[in-house]
Amino acid sequence: MININNLRFAWQKEPIISIDALSIEQGQHLFIEGPSGSGKSTLLNLLGGVITPQSGDVEILGQSLNQMSSSQKDSFRANHIGFIFQQFNLIPYLSVLENITLPCTFSPDRKQKALSHSGSLQKEAIRLLSALGINDTKLIQRSVNELSVGQQQRVAAARAMLGSPDIIIADEPTSALDNDHRQAFIKILFEECEKENITLIFVSHDATLKHHFSHHMNLQELNQVSNKEAL
Amino acid sequence: MAILSLAFKSLLNRKLTFFITLFSIAISVTLLLGVQTLKTETNSSFMKSISGTDLIIGSRGASSQLLLSSVFHIGNTPNTIKYSTYKKISQSPAVEWAVPISMGDSHKGYTVMATDLTFYDYFSFANKQHLSVERGAIDDDMFAVVIGSEVAEKLNYKIGDQVIVTHGGGEIEGHHHDNIPFYISAILAPSFTAIDQTLIISLEAMEAMHTDNHGHFGALPGEQILPSDNHQDHDAHQHHDEIAHEEHADHDAHQHHDEVDHEKHADHDAHQHHDEVAHEEHAEHSHQDTQDQRIARLLKIKPEKINAIFIGLTSPQAILGMQSYVNNYQAEPLSAIIPAVALQELWQFFSLAEVALNIVTAFVVLVGLLGMLSIILMSLNERRREMAILRSVGARPSHIFGLIIGEAGFVCFAGILLGVALLYLLLFTLQAPLASYYGFYLEINMLTSNDLFILAIIQLSALIIAFIPGWLIYKYSLSDGMSIKF
Repeated sequence: MININNLRFAWQKEPIISIDALSIEQGQHLFIEGPSGSGKSTLLNLLGGVITPQSGDVEILGQSLNQMSSSQKDSFRANHIGFIFQQFNLIPYLSVLENITLPCTFSPDRKQKALSHSGSLQKEAIRLLSALGINDTKLIQRSVNELSVGQQQRVAAARAMLGSPDIIIADEPTSALDNDHRQAFIKILFEECEKENITLIFVSHDATLKHHFSHHMNLQELNQVSNKEAL
Repeated sequence: MAILSLAFKSLLNRKLTFFITLFSIAISVTLLLGVQTLKTETNSSFMKSISGTDLIIGSRGASSQLLLSSVFHIGNTPNTIKYSTYKKISQSPAVEWAVPISMGDSHKGYTVMATDLTFYDYFSFANKQHLSVERGAIDDDMFAVVIGSEVAEKLNYKIGDQVIVTHGGGEIEGHHHDNIPFYISAILAPSFTAIDQTLIISLEAMEAMHTDNHGHFGALPGEQILPSDNHQDHDAHQHHDEIAHEEHADHDAHQHHDEVDHEKHADHDAHQHHDEVAHEEHAEHSHQDTQDQRIARLLKIKPEKINAIFIGLTSPQAILGMQSYVNNYQAEPLSAIIPAVALQELWQFFSLAEVALNIVTAFVVLVGLLGMLSIILMSLNERRREMAILRSVGARPSHIFGLIIGEAGFVCFAGILLGVALLYLLLFTLQAPLASYYGFYLEINMLTSNDLFILAIIQLSALIIAFIPGWLIYKYSLSDGMSIKF
């Protein structure tokens, strides 16, 4: 599903990522533990094809990102990967519905899949939101600024899931939530990913979340650059 | 398309800065187009000052001076054309008509022009329109005066009112020709030319006022020189108000002045434009000419010299030949100008001011666009998060670039539309006051192709200027990727 080989990335001649091998299976729920500064966001940018490594390769769904042009990588990301970030995931001037359906603007594939699911984008957005525990259908017309942080993160999750991408990459999606909401959010995310057979990569510095996941790894151990620094 | 709708929503999210930018562009567009409109309208109103006249003849001198004095009544040329020369030129076979013009006096700051009745038949302006009478009728009486619309309106004159002419331009109080009062026989309709600010009298009357170097005619045989006619003490008359003038005019019969007195004076036998009431009341006073007027009527002196001659030729082919004939006229030094050509030449003098105005307005537009640039640049930092989110859902850096360009393009386009709307609002509001207070008729037209070209340039400049923030955000989005930076 995802294979990383001899991946090296340096920014302004400062090595940041050096991973010899990493393999993620389809449908896996992988927890990557990494404190800030361990190269987390750089790795996510490499997986998303937003930045290009100096050497080595990232292969997703059997396709090598290195062999794609940057606009092909952008389309590939739009079609196959959904992202959830820490906080402020949403575009403030768009409504909840517009935020959820934003990937359709850039990926006709995901739009097609979403339509085949529910018939209309709005129905699909409502379906995903209710699966994520938001049952208030009037909410989708509202401004995202009126939502609580917990609701915002669920809207972000709905956006990442819309149109069934193959992979969801979540970068500290629960750090803004309190403990109860955190547990509930992870539970719902798991359920939905399992249902849609989505590979979930969950990155966090919070080791207490580790026990939810079947697979986990430590980025500090994996990334030889931060190894060296630790030594 | 989706990117443009995003750009639009993003703009609406920042309403305050959006409207400030919008208005600064709109106002600069209004100013720019307004200056263009004013320029064209001034030019066209300038070019419309005279038409149908093939040549203007004056004493030898600068053509612009002759044009200014004879058509715009600005400044003076010496009245040195002999009347006999006028007679001779008017008899040339190529000349269809010739109208003599004499100037030099004023009335309350308005030019007094002396001519003969042919002026009304031949003088035309704009698209060969002739002067038309609004009230009263043109009278061949020697002491009738026809006044322009602005003179009538500003001085609140009506038909039959009496007018005293002052020697000189009127800025400095000159000698009042109060021995020869005029009565208003006709008020002209507005022509939006210098004629609106002019009083037109007969050449004979002009001559009568100036005979004997501003002295006065003597008495007719059998008459005494009346004290009130004999203004030896000029100083005492320097600051007469109107009533005082009328008193002088009124020496013979009237002891008691009342309001209708104005009409009484206007009431001489030759003319027909008196108020009916006045006519009935004062039927027994036929007409009270002053002593000088009576003499002048008898003498009917033709002027010796005039300032200018307006000429119409039998065919346009004759213009150049006639011009060189006049320029080489042996009996006295004359020059002839072709009005259309001279107007064009004179307009060239203003071209420098025109260029300066253009530069200033271009800079105003530039300032408006720079305002837009700085507002977009300031928004970039807070929008890096937005860009990272868009990148994560699959937006390309070129989409992000397009977002900024689209935003600038939209603001500028809306600014242009608003600016054009403001311009027409302004033109429609100003049209009536400009015509009534400044005698400037502002014609409201569609935007010219030149205006549209300017607007296209502004729109294009906005897009080009937006390349600066566009390029910056492109760079940010490449280096930030999906990482949200604060």
